[in-house]
Amino acid sequence: MKRDTSFPLLLLAPALALTSALVLFPAAQTVWMSLHDFVLFRPKSRPFVGLANYIKALQDPVFWEGLLTSVIWVVVAVGLQFLLGLAAALLLNRSFAWRGLARALIVVPWALPSVIIGLIWTWMLDFNLGLINELGVRLGLLVHPVAWLSEPGTAFAAVILAVVWQGFPFFAVTLLAGLQAIPGELYEAASLDGAGAMSKFRHVTLPGIAAVITTALLLRMIWVANSLDLILVMTGGGPGTATQTLPLHAFLTAWSGGNYGQGSALAVILTFLLLGIVIAYLVRSRRA
Amino acid sequence: MTIARRTLLAGTAAALAAPHIAHAQSAVTVRWWYHFDDPKASPDALVASFEKQNPGIKIQAESIPWGGGGDYDTRLYTALIAGNGPDAAMVKFQNMPRLLEMDALAPLDAHISTWSARGDISDDLWKLHAAPDGKHYYLPLQYVVLYLYYRQDWFAEKNLAAPTTFDSFLAAAKALTTTDRWGFGLRGAAGGHDFWATFVLGGGAKLQKGGMVTPAALAANKWFIDLHRTHHVTPPSAPTDGFLQTINNMKAGRTAMTIHHAGSANDMVAALGDKITAIPVPQMPGVPGWTTYGDGSNAVLAASKNKDAAWKWIAHLSTAETNANFAKLSGQLPVTNSSLKSWDVQPRRFIDASAQSLPIARVLPSTTQTADFTRTVWPQTTQKALLGQISSDEMMQTFEKLYFG
Repeated sequence: MKRDTSFPLLLLAPALALTSALVLFPAAQTVWMSLHDFVLFRPKSRPFVGLANYIKALQDPVFWEGLLTSVIWVVVAVGLQFLLGLAAALLLNRSFAWRGLARALIVVPWALPSVIIGLIWTWMLDFNLGLINELGVRLGLLVHPVAWLSEPGTAFAAVILAVVWQGFPFFAVTLLAGLQAIPGELYEAASLDGAGAMSKFRHVTLPGIAAVITTALLLRMIWVANSLDLILVMTGGGPGTATQTLPLHAFLTAWSGGNYGQGSALAVILTFLLLGIVIAYLVRSRRA
Repeated sequence: MTIARRTLLAGTAAALAAPHIAHAQSAVTVRWWYHFDDPKASPDALVASFEKQNPGIKIQAESIPWGGGGDYDTRLYTALIAGNGPDAAMVKFQNMPRLLEMDALAPLDAHISTWSARGDISDDLWKLHAAPDGKHYYLPLQYVVLYLYYRQDWFAEKNLAAPTTFDSFLAAAKALTTTDRWGFGLRGAAGGHDFWATFVLGGGAKLQKGGMVTPAALAANKWFIDLHRTHHVTPPSAPTDGFLQTINNMKAGRTAMTIHHAGSANDMVAALGDKITAIPVPQMPGVPGWTTYGDGSNAVLAASKNKDAAWKWIAHLSTAETNANFAKLSGQLPVTNSSLKSWDVQPRRFIDASAQSLPIARVLPSTTQTADFTRTVWPQTTQKALLGQISSDEMMQTFEKLYFG
């Protein structure tokens, strides 16, 4: 007997229509713009240029600089967020006084808007008025104030520090949920077998939260790779192009330069680069 | 009879409503985009006085975030393309080429030629505000001229004369630099092209084909970069210092000199009193000097359906007393001669420094490259040169390529 699929489709229609309007149409428009010489302030002339925007993007040294910056940004930022988040989750999974309050407070950085976080860190790291220089000099840790956001190395470290502070609560909360799902009997059995703390961590804890770790890492990699707000607020991609990741490069090309064709090509390239991670996430979700 | 009564009632109602209908039909709303550096400043009083004088026109004043100029411009372009642009907007020279390319500006010459207040604005300003095609699309509203702030108390302590040449400027900057104080607050972030122009375009570089890579141009640029790289007379944070940092450093006694305009004079005096003063920027002997003329204008947009009403509004803002009141809100200088004569919003020494700077006041060329130059190319390239990632010559070659291919 053939199943009637019209009713489920009818129920899905509003969601599909909304997704098409909010996701598929802008995505298709981005691809269309990337194939045209689409400059905001030249509305009368937007000729089809094929792959010229893509070729130009790939020939631009700033693109390759941005790609390398993006890779370092994602690997270091997500790696540190994960390690810090895991440590926080293990700590919050133990019993101690005020644990409830600690669990509530840890999500504060995650709950704050990126722009606010960017401004907080920018002012804390300010060369003249910043808290970090003031404390560093007073405590004798620094001989002179440091222009943290004006040197390429320290500026990149500063934006990574800010995004790690912002993102580690996501791992902490997600991994904590995973830890709480591990049956206590497994730890008791491991103890009976003579396992120490490290053995329990390696053979019980890590396998118990492996699925959560993978999903959280994939999700966070996609978010961090796409994010540009924090860098935009803190350094604007500078000094020079030292902190300019690919999404920021695309944004500045389109928004500041008015070159939406070129900016769209960069966005499409970025999408393809991220597709590997997205597919891995989808496969993982399907299995789950 | 019933029909007659209904007709009579309807007729009476129509007659009673008629004046309101006529008023509603003739009243037009002019959407006007503006920005003030001080977000608390509001043009409400100016709008109210205009609406009182022009009962048929309503002004919908919309404050648009400035974002260093780039955000404002992009919002204006996107609104125009989306068909949702304002009737009139505050504009600057740097976005004129793009707005002209979009056919977005309405020529104002017909209005200006019959405008009774035309003579209250100097001929120099009218010439400066003419578009490359000779027409006037911009109506002067306010202006500033960049000058050099300096700490006269520190100069006196070291027995230094006010720096009028590049050599005396560098000598003073070196003499006043200590471990926690710097001779010159250089702006390396967006907007710092005005600092660069003073020393490089005022030091022999020319904005014409090949003019950025002549020996004189390269030497002038090296001199500019060496302020930070070699002489260390600028704060270590200079490559990324923006408006706030350069002004705050000066106010906090971290720097001895910086470049800005009368818009910050009252703030400076509030922080430093008589210790601070201003003079025209230094010049290189034998080379025409350069300081930036900071324009502020209003334009009527071509797509507006209420161009005449929009003109009335912007003309009102550029007329005598209203222009003075507007300038008080913006912190800049009025364009009307009648207002300038008795202008006392900033201490006189800063107005004098502005007036003395006018002979060397210039603007970057009205080309589409200028917007790219000021918004992204200049800050990114200059920061790299200030950090030693590229040479000062490579910096100038990048600018030459941008402007002249």
